[in-house]
Amino acid sequence: MFDPHLTPSDAEQYILGALDSELERKLEAHTLVCDACARLLQQEALLEEQLREVASATPREATVIRPARWRVGRAAALVVGPAMAAAAAALTLMVSRPGPVVPGTVQESRVVLSLDLPVELPSMVVACPDLTTQESCAQSAAARGLLVQYPLGMGEVPRYEGSAGLPSGALSSQPAPL
Amino acid sequence: MVGAAVQGLPMTGRQREDAEQPAERAQTGEEELSRRALGGDRRAWDALIARHQRRVVVSLLARGIRVDRAHELAQEAWARLIQQQQRGLLTELRLPNLALTQAAFLAADDARRARREAIAGNVEELLERQHPVDPSVSAERRLLSEEQLARANAALAGCSPSARNVFLLACDGQELPHAEVAARVGLSVQRVRQILCEVRKRLRTALEEESHV
Repeated sequence: MFDPHLTPSDAEQYILGALDSELERKLEAHTLVCDACARLLQQEALLEEQLREVASATPREATVIRPARWRVGRAAALVVGPAMAAAAAALTLMVSRPGPVVPGTVQESRVVLSLDLPVELPSMVVACPDLTTQESCAQSAAARGLLVQYPLGMGEVPRYEGSAGLPSGALSSQPAPL
Repeated sequence: MVGAAVQGLPMTGRQREDAEQPAERAQTGEEELSRRALGGDRRAWDALIARHQRRVVVSLLARGIRVDRAHELAQEAWARLIQQQQRGLLTELRLPNLALTQAAFLAADDARRARREAIAGNVEELLERQHPVDPSVSAERRLLSEEQLARANAALAGCSPSARNVFLLACDGQELPHAEVAARVGLSVQRVRQILCEVRKRLRTALEEESHV
């Protein structure tokens, strides 16, 4: 190796630290006696410095956040379901509350439905499956008020196909009978 | 003068790759190492030097400094930092930037001294590789123009997300060893280096394009 001179690949491997110590020593010794190879090594080192500038200037955005509607129904049901049941029970009690009934008039019952829910219920669940960016992803999601579904949790692979929630055949292409 | 302060330095240089096991490096965080080093822990200093030594040497090579002198200056830079820590002058340890700054300062000082000495003798008689290098001139060349940066960013955006991720992990200043990058992305070290070479090739082309315009 390095006979007679370094190749760009040799210099690159040196800069990346991919050479074993013996080859590294030989390469360094060669650059001390060969100006052309010393310049080649300098160019690779210069490129490395510039690439680090590029890397530091590249925004590390949370690219892993995916809108994932899967499990939203189940997650929402866990939160909203009991609350809705309680509200329905309260509504039933208020409506069926005994009181004076004036015949011939419509009773004006002012039903106030109050749910003890968070002001802003997260309506979207995001996944942060990439372990390398999970922390920043989760922070970004939290800042946006989103729920984070971790890969080891109950999440599934997100699916994006749309569904109108109608049974198949409900939208028949045939004209409706008059 | 610096000798006593460099007692923690025999681990630097050639033995740096053997000094620290990758597993240990992966487990020990940079912040924890810095905290221990500020407390005077020699093992922590050794680990930090092993992690950042190549970066310091490469930065000096980029300034046109001979490789043997680059190793010496890097060694001297670490010795100065340890000395400052022992005197209680270091309140925080942000690496590799602190070591890079120290090494650049030493390189500039070295160049000034070489120029002063050259006044007495005839520097033109020296071989080209022995000419003193002005690091500030090389430093100007290192700075990327906005256009170059934009081209490089565009080229980087054209890489696959996994390649981009590998590049950013390896080059964003954390100085993660390739073994750790490989562990994080679930690839082999060989594959990580292959990806880095591919990304470097793309970015090199992007950076050189502008100079031909």
